[in-house]
Amino acid sequence: MKKSLLLSAAIALASTAATAETLRIPHELGFGGAESMDPISPQRFYEAIQNVYSRLVRQGEDGRPSPDLALEWSATPDAKEWTFKLRPDVTFHNGNAFTAEDVAFSLMRTQSETIDSPTKGVMGIIDHVDVVDPLTVKVVLKDSHADFPLLTMDYRIKMLDAETCGGDLDVLCESGNGTGPFELVDLDALGTTTMKRFENYYGSKAGVENLELIAIADQDARVAALQAGQIDLVYSVSAEQVPLFANNPNFTVQSVPSGRWVGLVMNTQEAPFNDPRVRKAIRLSADRDALGKLVYGKGGYIVSCDHPVWTGDQYRKEIDCSRDVDGAKALLAEAGYANGLKVELFVSDISEGAVKLAEVLQNQAKDAGIEIELVPAPADGYWGDVWMKEAFFATGWSQRPADQILNEAYRSGAAWNETAWNSADFDAKLGAARSELDFGKRKELYGELQDELWETGGSFIPVHLNITRVLSSKIGGLPPVEGFSIRYEDVTKNGSGS
Amino acid sequence: MPSLILRRFGFAAFTIGFVSIVMFAAVEALPGNVCTSFLQRFAQGPRLERCIEQQGLERPAMVRYGDWVAGAVQGDFGYSLKKRKPINELIWERFRNTALLGGLAALLAIPFAIFLGIAAGVRRDRSLDLSLSGAAMLAMTIPEFVTATALIYVFAIVLQWFPAVTIVSPGAGFMQMLPNIVLPVLVLSAVLVAHIMRMMRASVIDVMASDYVQMARLKGVPERQIIWKHVVPNAMIPALNVIALTVAWLLAGVVVVEKVFNYPGLGTLMIQAIFDRDLPLVQAIALIFSVIYVGVNLAADLAALALDPRLRRKGH
Repeated sequence: MKKSLLLSAAIALASTAATAETLRIPHELGFGGAESMDPISPQRFYEAIQNVYSRLVRQGEDGRPSPDLALEWSATPDAKEWTFKLRPDVTFHNGNAFTAEDVAFSLMRTQSETIDSPTKGVMGIIDHVDVVDPLTVKVVLKDSHADFPLLTMDYRIKMLDAETCGGDLDVLCESGNGTGPFELVDLDALGTTTMKRFENYYGSKAGVENLELIAIADQDARVAALQAGQIDLVYSVSAEQVPLFANNPNFTVQSVPSGRWVGLVMNTQEAPFNDPRVRKAIRLSADRDALGKLVYGKGGYIVSCDHPVWTGDQYRKEIDCSRDVDGAKALLAEAGYANGLKVELFVSDISEGAVKLAEVLQNQAKDAGIEIELVPAPADGYWGDVWMKEAFFATGWSQRPADQILNEAYRSGAAWNETAWNSADFDAKLGAARSELDFGKRKELYGELQDELWETGGSFIPVHLNITRVLSSKIGGLPPVEGFSIRYEDVTKNGSGS
Repeated sequence: MPSLILRRFGFAAFTIGFVSIVMFAAVEALPGNVCTSFLQRFAQGPRLERCIEQQGLERPAMVRYGDWVAGAVQGDFGYSLKKRKPINELIWERFRNTALLGGLAALLAIPFAIFLGIAAGVRRDRSLDLSLSGAAMLAMTIPEFVTATALIYVFAIVLQWFPAVTIVSPGAGFMQMLPNIVLPVLVLSAVLVAHIMRMMRASVIDVMASDYVQMARLKGVPERQIIWKHVVPNAMIPALNVIALTVAWLLAGVVVVEKVFNYPGLGTLMIQAIFDRDLPLVQAIALIFSVIYVGVNLAADLAALALDPRLRRKGH
């Protein structure tokens, strides 16, 4: 009798913790509790700012900019002055009206020296912002940029209330007062951060009443929490964890393409990789589909052809890069390695599957007479001692839009130009694409850059990685799109309690 | 006698000092340094120089070791670059949580184990003893992460009585922590109980076979009185060392158990610090663990001295 009393007490305790209509999502506690509600802070609390604030422009389903707080935009023919028409009758959570002043404030503060935001580099292109009328702003750039709306689509470029922030461009603004679909109720980055539906949201009202962001730093713990119904989704599970959820009616498994990649880098200035034929031969010897399956499992990848632009990007060019062993041999013979080539490849367990990927290429390249000797390097100090120091080494990158990644990794002289890519023509095309206002022509230019990397580049990027997301089957309205494009206001949850 | 106690303290201090040197040297031997491991691929140019200057890394290792020890003695473990907080602030709440978990497990498990050990020893080779010993064997051989996973599956996923992982912040109050520590305490207790119970049982059996117990029996002393007055106190002495060792084992066990249950203690913090390559934090926690380890053993030594007059003679 006593025992059953205890049991029912425990059950009551467990079930009061979860109420209906509360969406509970985990966050990884990436800044260990120093998470900030200021979207441009280096420690921004991404999962929270995503729901509290809005952007001028957001990702459309086709990856292209679509209206959010700005309804339409246009540029002068030199792509230097951009005019944004703002959405009328939008209010912040505290009741203040959203106006052009707020846009000017939010854009200019990204350049603050004191805040030293990671967005400073990209938004440094803004010279100044003119308030034309309460619902119109004109952004004047220092250089032409035909894809400026794409920059404002960055997940950190959120619109804040100038009044709440005291109008000071140089201080962090952590109020959480935004125009987004959810209002901040309680910020507890180390525990549970709670939000509630914002009733005056300008879009369709949020499908759930409450949103909880729960700090769980450990991947296995997130999976256990999802199984036990403590949270409703896990952004990314490993290939080994998928069977826990597959074929279980309580969960939905989604495979979501992403822009992450793990690759190998040949320094294009160092022998033997300074010969483009050698680089191409090594890259041609790879069977990318087989490699992807071996390293990341079926459904864990999408084949790419040695350029960094992923499938969700509007500028992605599809190239045929199927395996060609004879072609590789011919190129090697031309380059003077008719009797085979021997190279050293430095690898370490720095990114998901990096070592396995190198091992698979080692095997595949043998057929073309290329002998790759793997040199294991310690993961400690890898980015200082091996990366960009050796001639042939492993790398890993997170998702970036085409323009950004091509400039960051391939513009001559860029700090992270890991292949030591040095092409005046390439740089010129990067510049031309930026000032080309016609989308079709711009896409063509970015396509040519991708072609060039496939023909002669030093990067081996066999695949882009998919993310496997798992949701409770109570969750609806969450399509398999990458994280930055999720609209939590559309998400619904049915069933009472848990 | 006082000199004996002082000597034990001296040994303990020496051990901790030695451990701190080994730890510092091990971190020094790693490729890179605090700055390169924090900055990763940003570790170049002025950013790296600034970090090296701020951290004082250009000074010789001996000087930095001296600084670190001097700070640690005063309770200042330095600054975590990754968490952007003084390490002191980070570890205090976590230490409290780990102490709560370990303390509760020890508090429940030790008396229970002693009781079971006596029961099994007194009823040697009868069905109670056989089933208890069998269960203990099982609890000792199954690693705690397996027990933990099994408990999560049964009590959190299937029955949903308790949370699978802890999702309250490290500073949460005791009542909020309580539902979260039930399963971790069970896991830790299972292993503690098994080890201590087996030692206690063996010890009780030894004493039961001794001459003075035989003598007491022949004199017609009631069995109950023999057990509580003669057997238990004497059987406690050898068990004490095992208890100390097992409590020290708790430190390692707690890391694994905290990780599985996402419990906000020193163990999870240590694992995070290792993954983040947050070297100052790793050093600080390792030092704290070694101090606790040495402290527990010292306490056991002193308790044994108090219980057993024979140990107090010279030469021990």
